[in-house]
Amino acid sequence: MAVWFRRFLARNGTMLSLYMLAAVALWMVLMIVLPQLFMLDFSFRHNWQQIDPSRMGGPDDVYTFVNYHFLAYGSPNNPDPFNVVDVTVFFRTIIAAIFVTLFDLALCYPIAYYLAQVARGGKARLLVLFLIIPFWINELLRAFAFRILFGEEGTINAILLSIGVLDQPIDFVREDVALYAGLGYAYILLMIFPIYNVVESLDKNQIEAARDLGASWARIHRRVVIPFAKPGISSGCTMVFMLSAGALAAPQILGGPSSLWFTQIIYQWFNTGSNWPRGSAYAIVLMLSCVLLVLAIMRIFKVKIGEIGR
Amino acid sequence: MTSARVLRLAVGFYILLFFTYLFGPLIVMSFTAFNSSEFPSISPWNCVTPEWFGVLFKDQHLMGGLRSSLLVGIGVVLLAVPIGLAASLLITQLQKRARSIVYTIAISPILVPGVVLGISTLVFWERIDRVVLGVEDSFFYDGYFMTIIGQSTFIAAYAMLVFLARLQRFDPGLEEAALDLGATHTQVFRKILLPFLKPAIASAAVLAFLASFENYNTTVFTIVSKSTLTTVLASKVRYGINPSISALAVIIIGLTLVGAVIHEYLRRKEVAKTEALAAEGLPAPTRSRSGNRVLRVPVGALASLIFVAMLATAWIARDYDVAQCKVQVTEENRKKFDALKQQRLAEAKAKREANRQDADVAVETNQAGRQYQNIFAPTNLGSQIDSTEPSEPDSDATTAVETNQAGRQYQNIFAPTNLDGQVDSETKDE
Repeated sequence: MAVWFRRFLARNGTMLSLYMLAAVALWMVLMIVLPQLFMLDFSFRHNWQQIDPSRMGGPDDVYTFVNYHFLAYGSPNNPDPFNVVDVTVFFRTIIAAIFVTLFDLALCYPIAYYLAQVARGGKARLLVLFLIIPFWINELLRAFAFRILFGEEGTINAILLSIGVLDQPIDFVREDVALYAGLGYAYILLMIFPIYNVVESLDKNQIEAARDLGASWARIHRRVVIPFAKPGISSGCTMVFMLSAGALAAPQILGGPSSLWFTQIIYQWFNTGSNWPRGSAYAIVLMLSCVLLVLAIMRIFKVKIGEIGR
Repeated sequence: MTSARVLRLAVGFYILLFFTYLFGPLIVMSFTAFNSSEFPSISPWNCVTPEWFGVLFKDQHLMGGLRSSLLVGIGVVLLAVPIGLAASLLITQLQKRARSIVYTIAISPILVPGVVLGISTLVFWERIDRVVLGVEDSFFYDGYFMTIIGQSTFIAAYAMLVFLARLQRFDPGLEEAALDLGATHTQVFRKILLPFLKPAIASAAVLAFLASFENYNTTVFTIVSKSTLTTVLASKVRYGINPSISALAVIIIGLTLVGAVIHEYLRRKEVAKTEALAAEGLPAPTRSRSGNRVLRVPVGALASLIFVAMLATAWIARDYDVAQCKVQVTEENRKKFDALKQQRLAEAKAKREANRQDADVAVETNQAGRQYQNIFAPTNLGSQIDSTEPSEPDSDATTAVETNQAGRQYQNIFAPTNLDGQVDSETKDE
């Protein structure tokens, strides 16, 4: 360590070394690690700050599982065996996020493959540019666009009614169609680019060899392209899953009146509920379950974490 | 037709569908910005109007939010880009084991949900404020400060990835040569490394600013009592919708297109420079240089199309009277509404005769009532309130719906919310 440090100083000079170490330490300690630990600590505390500030720091200010207990079982006078609302919303969010991820994968894999292997030169670059443009537009505005499309008086209903497919407008928002379409839309790019980057580095000769040996189109993808693209696919899926499970804007704007996203419950604890410890506990549960799920799936498909985010 | 041809057609069709999904919502939204309807929609097209842009610029909340978004964005660029640069330089110098640990910690904020980042930042700095400074809600517990910190947590990781990609192509021999020739470390950094990283610094700064500008999930927790453009937008979109938001979207889409064209231009200039270097026998840092001439045409076409569209809009707007058109549309709607009302009265009368003792009425009332509940919502009664009856704006927005549900509204007279003008007129008719 000391040897390394001396070499580091010698290589970069004092000023530059100090800058690098200070900036990275500031980032990692004050911005990444400590806030997460404080949040973890906070989630095990009572909400004395709101209920009774005088008891803060006193003998009552002890660690407690009350917030996690609440997520699982609800308030003490809850007649149900568990906290029906929050637990249902939690699983619904996870399952819906998986669904959105699979939808994006199915939608984006052909496009990524096309861009990386089929399209050439200028056309490919133009298509890539077109892909990026919608991504620069605010997430809220994209959700707003879907609300215009899918509203009860929205464009899709108007078109379907006018050509006579429907005689009653469908409430896409209540059915959550709008939410899934909006979430899937929001993260398309995060699915395409990791897959594109990997598939682009696949040697065309491998595909041609498989074709020459008589492999069918589906078999080429199953045995050659997809195994090769696995790191890209898994990093795309990880990002889309994490982002859609943690999405807040789209569910707030596109969610039906009766259906909540788990992040909305967290938001409520912080905003109207004024119970930060409980909100922190919920956030920890969301983050840990997402990370564990991703790690489990990556283990099943034998992908390493270091390959994510490249 | 050969099967290859069928496949090609299918692929083309798929790509078309895909890009429709990608651009359809944005195009529809852009059109709603120019419709005079109070509700952002294109289906009952009323009048072409630029008025929503005026409404947008007069909106104090949005403009205030825009100012603080710019402020926060600049703060994030100033904080996140240097951090990302330092982290990337450090990581390239670390050995295998330490490198993978630092790298994992550094990219973890990208994978952590933004909501969690916001919460942890809020909780941490609130505590620091309370414990270290001993005062509540003072320096650190400030919306701007916490938002800049919270956003930089993950934006620094974006910046780091940009720098790492560029550093992979850096030749350490240059650095060694300079040191051998007697340059100091600071000189090497300033004269060799920084110039090499300049394009990466520019793109990291742009990326950081954009990411900050459009961030919502983290900001909504850390901004506390202040507001940025995104938090104002979110509350607007959730509560009172009107097409001025579409107008904002049009502006942002326009800026994005301009940005894309500029980006393309700069990139091509860089590639041309690389090619010139390559022609002199120097190693070319970038690998692909194909297809630029092909691209010049479509991008140019896109740019000129936008330009022509803008000119055309300006030309049309010049001698087009919005007010006159609006009066006309209001008149048409009133006529349509009157006709509809007559028709409904007749239908409902007949229906009531038929099933006077129908027990289902109560249920149906509930269903019908839901749809018309927001007749009296304040946002629905824009400028048209003076000229029309209370229920008119509703018919304005849902003509298509209503025609299909004729007769339904009349049952609505039993709904408690509806005991206004309409009931009076109907009882008079009987």
